[in-house]
Amino acid sequence: MSLIADRPVPGLARPYRFPQVTRRAVAGGQVVAAHLPGQNLAVALLLLDAGAAREPAGKEGLGAVLANALEEGTARRDATAYALAVEGLGTELVTGLDWDSFQVSVQVPVDRLTAAVELLGEAVRTPRLDPDDVRRVRDDEATALLMDWANPGPRADAVLRADLFGAENRWGRPMYGDPDSVAALDVEDVAVFHSEWFLRPGTLVVAGDLERIDLDALGAAAFAGTGGGPADRGGPIDVPPRPGRRIILVDRPGSVQSTLRLGHPAPHRAHPDHVPMTLAGTVLGGAFTSRLNHLIREVRGYTYGIRGDFASSRRFGRFAVSSGVQTAVTAPALVEAVGEITRTQATGVTADELAVARSWRAGQLSVELQSPRAIAAALTTLVVYDLPDDYHARLRQSLLDADVDEVSAAAANHLHPESLTLVVEGDAAAVRDELAATGLGEIVDARP
Amino acid sequence: MPDSGYPWPIETTRLDNGLRVVVSEDRAAPAVAVNLWYDVGSRHEPDGQTGFAHLFEHLMFEGSLNVAKTEHMKLVQGAGGNLNATTNPDRTNYFETVPPEHLELALWLEADRMGGLVPALTQETLDNQREVVKNERRQRYENVPYGDSWLRLLPLLYPPGHPYHHATIGSMADLNAADLATFQHFHRTYYAPNNAVLTVVGDTTATEVFALADKYFGAIPARPEIPAAPDGRHVPAAGSPVAEVVTGPVPAPRVYVAHRTHPFGTPGYDVLTVLATVLGSGRGSRLYQRLADGERIAQPDLVGAYGVDLAHAPAPLIATATARPGVTGERLAAGVAEVVDELATVPVTATELDRAKALLSTGWWRQMSTVDGRADTLGRYATQFGDPALVARRLPAWLAVTADQIAELAAEVLRASDRVTLTYLPEETA
Repeated sequence: MSLIADRPVPGLARPYRFPQVTRRAVAGGQVVAAHLPGQNLAVALLLLDAGAAREPAGKEGLGAVLANALEEGTARRDATAYALAVEGLGTELVTGLDWDSFQVSVQVPVDRLTAAVELLGEAVRTPRLDPDDVRRVRDDEATALLMDWANPGPRADAVLRADLFGAENRWGRPMYGDPDSVAALDVEDVAVFHSEWFLRPGTLVVAGDLERIDLDALGAAAFAGTGGGPADRGGPIDVPPRPGRRIILVDRPGSVQSTLRLGHPAPHRAHPDHVPMTLAGTVLGGAFTSRLNHLIREVRGYTYGIRGDFASSRRFGRFAVSSGVQTAVTAPALVEAVGEITRTQATGVTADELAVARSWRAGQLSVELQSPRAIAAALTTLVVYDLPDDYHARLRQSLLDADVDEVSAAAANHLHPESLTLVVEGDAAAVRDELAATGLGEIVDARP
Repeated sequence: MPDSGYPWPIETTRLDNGLRVVVSEDRAAPAVAVNLWYDVGSRHEPDGQTGFAHLFEHLMFEGSLNVAKTEHMKLVQGAGGNLNATTNPDRTNYFETVPPEHLELALWLEADRMGGLVPALTQETLDNQREVVKNERRQRYENVPYGDSWLRLLPLLYPPGHPYHHATIGSMADLNAADLATFQHFHRTYYAPNNAVLTVVGDTTATEVFALADKYFGAIPARPEIPAAPDGRHVPAAGSPVAEVVTGPVPAPRVYVAHRTHPFGTPGYDVLTVLATVLGSGRGSRLYQRLADGERIAQPDLVGAYGVDLAHAPAPLIATATARPGVTGERLAAGVAEVVDELATVPVTATELDRAKALLSTGWWRQMSTVDGRADTLGRYATQFGDPALVARRLPAWLAVTADQIAELAAEVLRASDRVTLTYLPEETA
């Protein structure tokens, strides 16, 4: 048997291309579209400036409740008739919420796109919002969050966020709210949030074969009955790293794993170091081959996986690491994870590691951007962060151009191992003494 | 009604060593998907070796004759690619999507671990990946509410000795007992070119792929006799309903109602696929309309039904619902059973049928919208049905299903006497 021993050299790279982008003002709103010739499937996504950051502190979860209430009937038809109309086209309303935007989208064979967007517009602009229905949807959402919070993770995430950003701020509380905040919402709050934020036109993002799509008709359907201009979005928020590291224990008696969430504040999305920071995060924890996964999974066998990254929105950002490790190795896993973060901050990245990180990130812009759903998400990035049509090509180039000095400097400036909050959700009685012995920081117990 | 669910070219060849190669050219995106289906899954595992096929899948990323430990991932990601692998009862698949200039690298890596894994396999690697897999078991099945439902349903649906009786993740005891020689033997037995299908989809040509396949895989010898898994096609009917109640740390009562139906790929399973969509996909489905919206006993975002696409034995249909606060597990189970029973007695309307078919069409084209989705589907059809071109028939087959066929199928396979019911109850209400 003779396998070929020599690794093949790469062939000739194809020139990078992002689909052609069309921007058009229609019926008071903006349409941003990408042409995908020959695609049978199309996506339309309405983007509203109604992200979680628009919810008042103490009203977390308004957007999520409203998202579900949209499908409880419209001015024209009841909930069942609406569900049958939408699903009869082969689609479902998919809603999404992040800090900067509220998104609602449909994905259908291209010949049904106009009909689907008409139904999308009907739900977003003219929902019935009957108080009894809204009350029931709110209670269901609170129950759904209780179900979700029975899993490991959500409590640890909430504790980390509060410690980083302060629970007195909206952005220091969970993006979708928590079971209590949702249960406490007034029906009236939902209607007010709708009239304040869901009747502005927003932007319609379209990905599909534009030769078979009438963008004007889509815009007219999405923006019918809207008014009001863009609202002030506020500037970046300065969040100082905490003075000194600490461990917060979230008790989960009998847990066979400890859920780890490590983090500290980081720059907002428009920060000039965005690309080198992304690459530093990739080397440290963003890829399967990253330092953290290599050490904690592949060398030590402590976990099924560990990831870390920088994430950012318009006004703030954070660095965070997450994992689930076997209870018995909680302390050594934490020590080694903090060790890798410290080492990366102090000594930066190597040329070999950076080569993998930048070609991986750049390559993802080819292999990941195939489906209409993925292209629509890429267009959404352009809209939310005010980026130009050729952003993805430029991003690719700046990823490929980033050098070791630049990325190591980003690691040095934006990693703060001494300011990490280390959240451990697990069997507190089983792990407390060993955690104390690590000397990583003082231990505090999260309020139950 | 479309006459094809696969409007792209398909070209196939077979190397002298038995490796089947499938190519589907598509220049729309600068990406190429490489996919290998090995016709080995947890159904091949004998008693005492549960979880071995999946643990083996992990070992395939740890280096081979010409690829150092940890290098596999690094080379694919360093080429800008995505990669992964999965194991299920039927088969094991390995796949990567890379920019087209790295196609040859991907084929070299796959050939090296098909033909040269055993010399690189060490006790240290096995020990490490055994721990990783045990952590996967804890994370996915043990540390989450309801996480072990699939592990409990399988032995209720399939008797001891049946190839689907045990779950792919395996038992901790078997994983602990796994020794190196067994895995060396496992590779020699099943990871042969004549037990695999190589599929490449995207920005390349069949001519190029056939030549590269021959260059990299051509020297790997065929294995003359590959042992078959136990035959599971005939499962004796239980004759009476089977029920299990689990009391544990769960936030609300939850019910799973399961039936053995037909193997994936058969006309009966096509009907089942439409039936499952009518029953449990979306807000217009019967389960949602009756239990979440109508009687309001089920939580709206946790109600649904689906078939599990397994091809070597009657595949399961699973319907599930989770109780709203104040609703007992008993009442919920009765509600789900009633809706399932009515599939045989209350005819599916034209509206229900059209809705289901529209949702299935969109789902089909979504799977086809990426080169990796297409590659995995072609690999499945080549492996399980001997011809990747049969892929084109699935969507038209779904669209041809009638209401009468659904009622007939329900009467045949959804009888209460053949039903498995698994109920979870929170500790405090026990």
